[in-house]
Amino acid sequence: MTLYEGMFLLDNAVVREDWKKAKAIVADAVSKHGGAVQTSRRFDERRLAYTIRGKNRATYLLAYLEMAGEGLPGLRRELELSERVLRYLILRVEQIPAPELELAQAEEVEGFVVPTPPQDDVVEPEAAAPTQETVEDMLAEGEFVEERPRGRRAEKAAEVAP
Amino acid sequence: MSRDRRAPLPMIAGRFCEDSVPEYKNFEALKKFLNGSAQIYSRKRTGYCSQCQKALKQAVKRARHVGFLPFVG
Repeated sequence: MTLYEGMFLLDNAVVREDWKKAKAIVADAVSKHGGAVQTSRRFDERRLAYTIRGKNRATYLLAYLEMAGEGLPGLRRELELSERVLRYLILRVEQIPAPELELAQAEEVEGFVVPTPPQDDVVEPEAAAPTQETVEDMLAEGEFVEERPRGRRAEKAAEVAP
Repeated sequence: MSRDRRAPLPMIAGRFCEDSVPEYKNFEALKKFLNGSAQIYSRKRTGYCSQCQKALKQAVKRARHVGFLPFVG
């Protein structure tokens, strides 16, 4: 049995329904292929850097799983076919980091509530596109103004002019 | 005639790999190793050794795969 770290991008529609149900998607897939989830926690809910399967936002689930290497291709195939898992990344690790164990335990405490993910088309204020500054604006502000002559001809002309 | 001589840009990770390579999960730290087009800076700019630069490349590629970082900025 080998220890793996898995990062799973879950569809926000499933997370909105029930967080435990969303976690169970990964746990069921792993157990089906002869593995077991050691710890899992909500890593983040954020806007994606690019659209994945037509979604702009997703919830990240970070899980540490123990399973035999033979079960991994089957798990990968199942995750590829699942519509509720947008993308995944599975890496082999030596051990579970101590902070991860603490964070996963904090999620198990009674009263832990996962915030409802926003709608897919919600744009965060900080993620708003910066205003495009045109070359005309820069020229109007005085940027890119030639302060000294460039080239021998221009230098000679500048020497003669004063 | 004197030509413009620009001072070399500072190395992002310091000299001799002072800062360890961030993991793919620490994508905010990885962002400073990318230019405006989301391309990874060269070793000359990052200041990493060959091994650390390879680790940086791997971390950025993993972060791109899971949608933390863009492929094209």
